[in-house]
Amino acid sequence: MKKTAIAAVIIVAAVFVAFLAYDGAVNKEYSSDFFVMNTYATAKLTGSKSKEAADEIRSLTETLDKGILSRTSENSVVSLLNVNGAGDAEKISDYLEILFDVCRKSGGAFDFTLGAVSDLWSFGSNPKLPDDSAIREALSHTGYEKLKLTENELVFGDKSAVIDFGAAGKGIALDEIKAVLFEKKIKQAVVSVGGSVLLMGDKEFTVGIRNPEGNSGSYIAKLHIPEGCVSTSGSYEQQFEANGRKYHHILDPETGYPVDNGLLSVTIISQSGILSDALSTACFVLGYEKGKALAEAYDCGVVFVADDKKIYAENGAENFIEITDDAYTLVMQ
Amino acid sequence: MNIKFIKKGDIAVIGVIILIAAAFMLWSNSKSEAVQAVITVDGEVIETVDLGSVKEKITVIPATSPRVVITAENGKIRFESAECEDKLCVACGDLSKHGDTAVCLPSKTVITVTGSDVDAVVY
Repeated sequence: MKKTAIAAVIIVAAVFVAFLAYDGAVNKEYSSDFFVMNTYATAKLTGSKSKEAADEIRSLTETLDKGILSRTSENSVVSLLNVNGAGDAEKISDYLEILFDVCRKSGGAFDFTLGAVSDLWSFGSNPKLPDDSAIREALSHTGYEKLKLTENELVFGDKSAVIDFGAAGKGIALDEIKAVLFEKKIKQAVVSVGGSVLLMGDKEFTVGIRNPEGNSGSYIAKLHIPEGCVSTSGSYEQQFEANGRKYHHILDPETGYPVDNGLLSVTIISQSGILSDALSTACFVLGYEKGKALAEAYDCGVVFVADDKKIYAENGAENFIEITDDAYTLVMQ
Repeated sequence: MNIKFIKKGDIAVIGVIILIAAAFMLWSNSKSEAVQAVITVDGEVIETVDLGSVKEKITVIPATSPRVVITAENGKIRFESAECEDKLCVACGDLSKHGDTAVCLPSKTVITVTGSDVDAVVY
C-alpha cells in the first residue's frame, strides 16, 4: 500500500513538472526595448517564439524606417519621392490610400504633405519659431490634392511638395508588427512605438492616457479595452517656448502654426494602427465636435482631454474609461 | 482510506516544508513591493536603484553622448542635467511612483520606476 502511494505521488509530481515545463515553453515571456524611428519602443511578448518575434520586430521597424518612411535616410522610398516629385510607391500604396482617405474625410485637417512647413519648425531636434513669411511660402507647396496615386505610382502636382509620415509612421509600424506577431503565433503582446500601442491577446488590457503635465509613464485615466491599437496626439510632446509663448508640434495644415483649440490630447482606439495614429492627429486638429464626427465615421473610440481638465470619451470609449486623476472630470454628454 | 503509512515524523517534515514555503512567499511579496528604478542605455540595464533605501544623494553618469547626469535622493530619481538640445528628459522632473518613466532620446537613456499597474501608457 505504501509503495503504491509513493508511486502515485511520484507520478503526480512528474505530470506536474511536465505541465510546468510545457507551460513555460508555450508561454515564454520576453521583453525588449529599443530606439527606432526617432523614438522609444517597447515590446512585451508571450509565446513559444517570443524572443525571435521581438528580434524580428526590432529589425523590421529599423528597415521600415530606413528603407521606406524616414526623411533623413537618403534612399528611403519617401526621400526618393520627395527628391524626384514622382515615383514608384508600391511599398506604401496601401497606406497611402488610407491616408488620402483620412485627408479627404477630415477636410484637409490631416495632411501628409506638410513636410516643408514642419521642417521650418525643426521639431525633434532644435525647435524654433520660423518667420511668418517662410511659413506662408512653405504652405503654398502643401496640399494632398496636388498628389495623385495611380497604380502604385505617386505623382506630385507641385514638385516642391514634401511628404512626411510623421503623423502616421508609428501606426504603420504597429500594423507591420502585427503581421510578425501572427506569423510567430504570439499569444499575447503589448508593443509600444513611441507611445502608440498595439495590444494583442485574449484578455482585457489596461492602457493609461498620459498625464499632460507628468512624465511619460504617468497617466490621468485608464482604458480597459480588448485587443487593438491605441494612439494619442498630445500638445505636451516636443513643446518649446519662444517670445513668452509655448509652441507644440501639431500643426494646423491651414495656417502652418500649432493648433490652438483648447485640447491637450486626443486618443483613438482602432483595430488599425495607421488609423489610430492618423486619426489622433486629425481629430486633434479638428477639435471636439468635428473630431468626434470623424472618429465616428471610422467607427473608432475617441477620448479628448481639454485644457480645462475636462475629458470627453465618445463612440464607445465612454464604456472603457476610468478617470484616475481627481483633477480631471469625465463629461457625460 | 488507509493512512497508517503516514508517521509523526512525516507530519513534522510536511509542517517544516509548509513553513519554509510561507516564509518564501512573504519574502518574495515584500520584494516585489520595493520601488526600484531601472536605468537603461539602448535597451541594456546599466544600473538598478532601490529608491526605498536611497538616503544619501547618488549620481549616475552613463557613458553616453550626449552626456546625461542622473541623480537619486529621498526616494526620487531624475535626469539632473543633459547636454542634448531639447532637454525633455530633464523636464520630466522627479520620478518616484510605480511606472514613472523618463526617456532621453538623443542619449538613448531611459529611467523607469518598476511596477506600473497598466499594460502601457499612450502619449
